[in-house]
Amino acid sequence: MKASRTVATEKKEGDATPVVEVVAVEFNYGKPRVLDGLSLAVAEGMSFGLLGPNGAGKTTLIRMLVGLLRPLKGTVRVLGEVPSPRVTGRIGYMPQFPALYGELTVAHNVDFFARMYGMGDGRRQRVEEALRLVGLWERRGDAVLHLSGGMRQRLSLACALVHRPPLLILDEPTVGLDPELRATFWDYFHQLTAQGNTIVISSHTMDDAAHCDELAFLRAGRVIAQGSPTQLRQATGREAATLEEAFLHFVRRG
Amino acid sequence: MSVERTLAIAQRIITQILRDHRTMALILIVPTMVMTLVGLSFYEQKAVLNFAAPAILGAFVMFFVFILTGVSFLRERMQGTLERLLATPVSRGDVLVGYLAGFLLFAAVQSLLVVLFLLLVLQISYQGALWHILLFVMVMAMASVNMGIFFSTFANNEFQVMQFIPMVMGPQLFLAGVLLPVEQMPEYLQIISRFLPLTYAIRGLRKIMLEGQGLGGVATELSILAGFAVLMLALAAMAVRRS
Repeated sequence: MKASRTVATEKKEGDATPVVEVVAVEFNYGKPRVLDGLSLAVAEGMSFGLLGPNGAGKTTLIRMLVGLLRPLKGTVRVLGEVPSPRVTGRIGYMPQFPALYGELTVAHNVDFFARMYGMGDGRRQRVEEALRLVGLWERRGDAVLHLSGGMRQRLSLACALVHRPPLLILDEPTVGLDPELRATFWDYFHQLTAQGNTIVISSHTMDDAAHCDELAFLRAGRVIAQGSPTQLRQATGREAATLEEAFLHFVRRG
Repeated sequence: MSVERTLAIAQRIITQILRDHRTMALILIVPTMVMTLVGLSFYEQKAVLNFAAPAILGAFVMFFVFILTGVSFLRERMQGTLERLLATPVSRGDVLVGYLAGFLLFAAVQSLLVVLFLLLVLQISYQGALWHILLFVMVMAMASVNMGIFFSTFANNEFQVMQFIPMVMGPQLFLAGVLLPVEQMPEYLQIISRFLPLTYAIRGLRKIMLEGQGLGGVATELSILAGFAVLMLALAAMAVRRS
């Protein structure tokens, strides 16, 4: 395993145990390696972006973090534990493609996930809060089949955060959202991290990347650089460099 | 195991199917239509129909239920909703028992339709108690629901799951005593028939409906079918494990 280049070395106070810790993980579905000695750590209370082109291994890593896949080599710890049903109750997971029940109403979908997360009688209020937050409370009685793509994306987010998890793991949550909605999502993510929650978000757009406290650039199943957006930009040696240029800079350095 | 989660899953499946009006209509119409054709084809031969009724009942219930659950469960996997569910604290046991309970309701409706059509519309003469027949059919349906879930875990698309229907049902129709008594088949085929649930379904139903035996008389067949149901559920749980 080649060591990944870590730009950020400074640590916030009180984050001795990372919320997410991935060490030298390898994985493949068939022949080519999807994750190739990938390591990273996410401290508590930050928004952490996994950034990379299609096929870089983002979704595979995320599926591993929520316990759907196990690494062939290396270790994955989330909230201090190996991902299992015990820990997934404290994770809010939003898959890349909304996995919703089309025939059910908007409210029924969120309520169903609230029950899966073991929420009892108090869940009615939380379902309402989650739906208001994503702007779907007025559509609560509609069948999901009748929602637009963006609305399904929002509903999928409501299902992920209905149980107030301390850790949100979101796989490309802003794909297909209009700029206004994207801004709304990010406002909310900033609120969550300000309250001490942690968000891991995958994306291939630099617009999302700029919002993150810290980024990991992924390429061919490895982390090629990790740091804050500013640190990564400065690493190119040019003040005015964009994140896209920073990404290319690290790709070329290999 | 969590009863609350299992119930939530069963309720969710039931609501989904109830809200899908076309599927609901097909669930009701298809068995009725097939049984009408059976009735018309045996119109002049009541005695033959009386004898064939247990085999017809067993084969059709297994057939309808297997298709219903096999295809529905595949849809859960293809739409990513099963995977999404497995990323929550739910256990595989909760998920599978929830699916079983949800599908079983519709399997019961279809089974009841076939039984009542045979008894009330075609007016076959039978021995044994009606509730014995119904209870036996429900255990059979449960075995078939779980078989549908299990086989569906091996299919990656609709085309593949459709191939499983003749693969699973074909041998049972020919070897389980539907067309030819098991005893008249070559010995090696008789050995195979011992591993097919439909063999026990038909044997048990014949004992109740033709010989008038009670539940005590079909205890062996009932136990084998119940055991088969549990085995299929356990195998399905292993097959959908979190990678």
